[in-house]
Amino acid sequence: MAGPPEKRPTVVRDALHTAALALLLVPATVQAADSEAGDKIDLTWLQYGEQSRTRIAEPVVRFTHLMPDGQSFSAQLGIDIITGASPTGALPSGQVQTHTTPSGRVVTSPPGQIPTAPFQDHRLSLDADWKRPLGRLVITTLGGHVSREKDYQSLGANGEVSVDVWHRMMTLTAGGSINHDSVFPVGGTPAGLSDGTILHSSANAKRVGNIFFGASRILSRKWMAGVTGSRTFESGYLTEPYKLVSVMNDNGQPISELTDKRPSIRNRTSLLFSSVYHLTDDVLYNSYRYYTDSWKVRSHTLEIRYRHQLDTDTYIEPLLRFYTQSAASFYTVGLHDGAPLPDFASSDYRLGRLQTITLGATYGFAFDDNPGNWVVRAEYIRQAGDSSPPGAVGIQRGFDLAPPVNIYAIVVGYTFKY
Amino acid sequence: MASPCSVLVDTDERDEAEALLAIAEMEVRRIEEKFSRYRRGNVVDGINRSDGVPVEVDPETALLIEYAAACYRMSGGMFDITSGALRRVWKFDGSSRVPGPTAVRECLRHVGWQRVEWTNPVLTLPRGMEIDLGGIGKEYAVDRAAARISERTRSSFVVNFGGDLYVSGTRRGGRTWGVGIDDPDRAGESALIRLDVTSGGIATSGDARRFVTWRGKRLGHILNPRTGWPIEGAPRSVTVAGPTCIEAGTLSTLAYLQGSGARSYLEQQAVQFWIV
Amino acid sequence: MKRTVARLLTVLGLLLLIAGCTTVKPWDRDLLAQKRMSFNPTPMLQAIDEHIYFSKEASMGGIGVGGGGCGCN
Repeated sequence: MAGPPEKRPTVVRDALHTAALALLLVPATVQAADSEAGDKIDLTWLQYGEQSRTRIAEPVVRFTHLMPDGQSFSAQLGIDIITGASPTGALPSGQVQTHTTPSGRVVTSPPGQIPTAPFQDHRLSLDADWKRPLGRLVITTLGGHVSREKDYQSLGANGEVSVDVWHRMMTLTAGGSINHDSVFPVGGTPAGLSDGTILHSSANAKRVGNIFFGASRILSRKWMAGVTGSRTFESGYLTEPYKLVSVMNDNGQPISELTDKRPSIRNRTSLLFSSVYHLTDDVLYNSYRYYTDSWKVRSHTLEIRYRHQLDTDTYIEPLLRFYTQSAASFYTVGLHDGAPLPDFASSDYRLGRLQTITLGATYGFAFDDNPGNWVVRAEYIRQAGDSSPPGAVGIQRGFDLAPPVNIYAIVVGYTFKY
Repeated sequence: MASPCSVLVDTDERDEAEALLAIAEMEVRRIEEKFSRYRRGNVVDGINRSDGVPVEVDPETALLIEYAAACYRMSGGMFDITSGALRRVWKFDGSSRVPGPTAVRECLRHVGWQRVEWTNPVLTLPRGMEIDLGGIGKEYAVDRAAARISERTRSSFVVNFGGDLYVSGTRRGGRTWGVGIDDPDRAGESALIRLDVTSGGIATSGDARRFVTWRGKRLGHILNPRTGWPIEGAPRSVTVAGPTCIEAGTLSTLAYLQGSGARSYLEQQAVQFWIV
Repeated sequence: MKRTVARLLTVLGLLLLIAGCTTVKPWDRDLLAQKRMSFNPTPMLQAIDEHIYFSKEASMGGIGVGGGGCGCN
């Protein structure tokens, strides 16, 4: 007597048992074949431009090899192609000024405008790192760096340990790095605060040591926050060999130029607060950094990013960054003719009072038939300083000594796993 | 997996427990990477993008598809891994948005295991159709993780992924593991029922987390692949015990698919079950 | 003044770390497990930004240093 087919309930339990046994008795070798290892390639290209000043093209390629036990090796090659002009630090004059660059070119600056000098450079950098988990709670990282440009070389090593504690609610991180850099200015090293007499043509050493401690924790199901404190110690040749400081007469007219001179020690401290908060669908990133150093520069940085996810692979993330810094103690608009020379002086606008504001957006996406992930970021950066600082006297009061600089930066990135 | 995962080991050796957890974690991640329909470029994604072209699958995937095909037959077509396409018209976000009959009918044209050509190891999925191993993926991961742990230890353990679990045996001193079943209305708070489990798999099907409210009724996220609509009259939560997690999970899903007939279905299977 | 600011921030940082001692259960870490829930979800882009600001401003770092120096500042 034939019973009804498969739909008779009691048959199901036994049939399922047979099917499950067939499914679960998979030989171990079958699984070992598709374990979690993999390789990844990241390609990025930065196109950067400052209005009438510097232009940079920077391609970077990074290769990562991830092993089944969580260890990973990574190697990165980056090339910077830099051209353009940047302010020398000298003051504008009532007349046309000429200036000879370290490479021998003669440049003229129109009256009333901040003199700039053209330059061109290529920088090649190589980074490698090795990440290794120790158990489930600890990760160690070791890295090395080598870079070289026309007048600068950097060699560095860094390390970091992070530990998850307190039911994995908190992560503690500690790390440090040491860099041994070499500065060899084109044409030789000029004496500081002088007319540019070349002292020697050999390289100058610059040593940088850094240590940092960080703690981050989960505040709730949606919120995590962290604090990182870092100390950096620099010693050696810290001067910018191509920058100038103007010497003005009582009327503010620049009559000569001296070379930049900075202390040979710089100790920096920074404290960074970050927060990541998950809203219903989107994520809000906030960070605030307080910075101070032994050159008396103090700065505040505030950054806000809002990531709006459109679907699994697509997102749009606008960003806003505010930055303000106070001048270094030896920053000066210009020296006065006849006055005694200070120990150190620099008119490099990057050591003066300035504010930077950045407005940008990142768009992440992927193509259906392509396994990689793309990202495009566009940023508009505007940097402005004191147009007429207290040190500006005489005719300098009529010039804009820190016109706002408009900068754009566009990054295109592609990540591919295989 | 988007579910909480835990491994409990009855041992005094912290190192042993840590090591076993790491093994389970690796296995779960491996399975998720390989079979999740959300990961681009993996096996399932490749099948779902094959656009009608035959795909040859690896041995592990073939075994899972065989299992799914067997479940389709045993359930008279109610358990169907191609029913994931209905996700395009159904969004279970707790609101009262419900698709119209034309949209559902149109979507049903891309649902139905009978339309798929499966000759181990070659799978041909017609254009517009997709497979979703989410219905068995979690339970499979539990059993696989349990198998890996068993290879390394004699200690008794529990592998629990979001309520679908496997118990390897009794604890020291013959004691049993205690398992709680959530109250569907108060997910995450204290358990409604406490079970003492000696060994085997336990899995739950229900509407606790993903549902749609329609005309005052709560409709769970498991859809009837024949009508394209959620199962009506199903209990809030069906928990089944079986020798392995995947058997328990499949039975609880099959029972749930019976709607109001869930209880009598399970009684006829002569398995241990709890309906809330 | 500078000392006060630094001290205030350190205290704030410590408070942040100690405040609120309820553990978030493992099954409630679903959102936190997402890739974008990270202090640095796009390291390559972050490194580029840091390099830009390092050459245009006097400040440095904050996040653990990994790279190297350049003649740009």
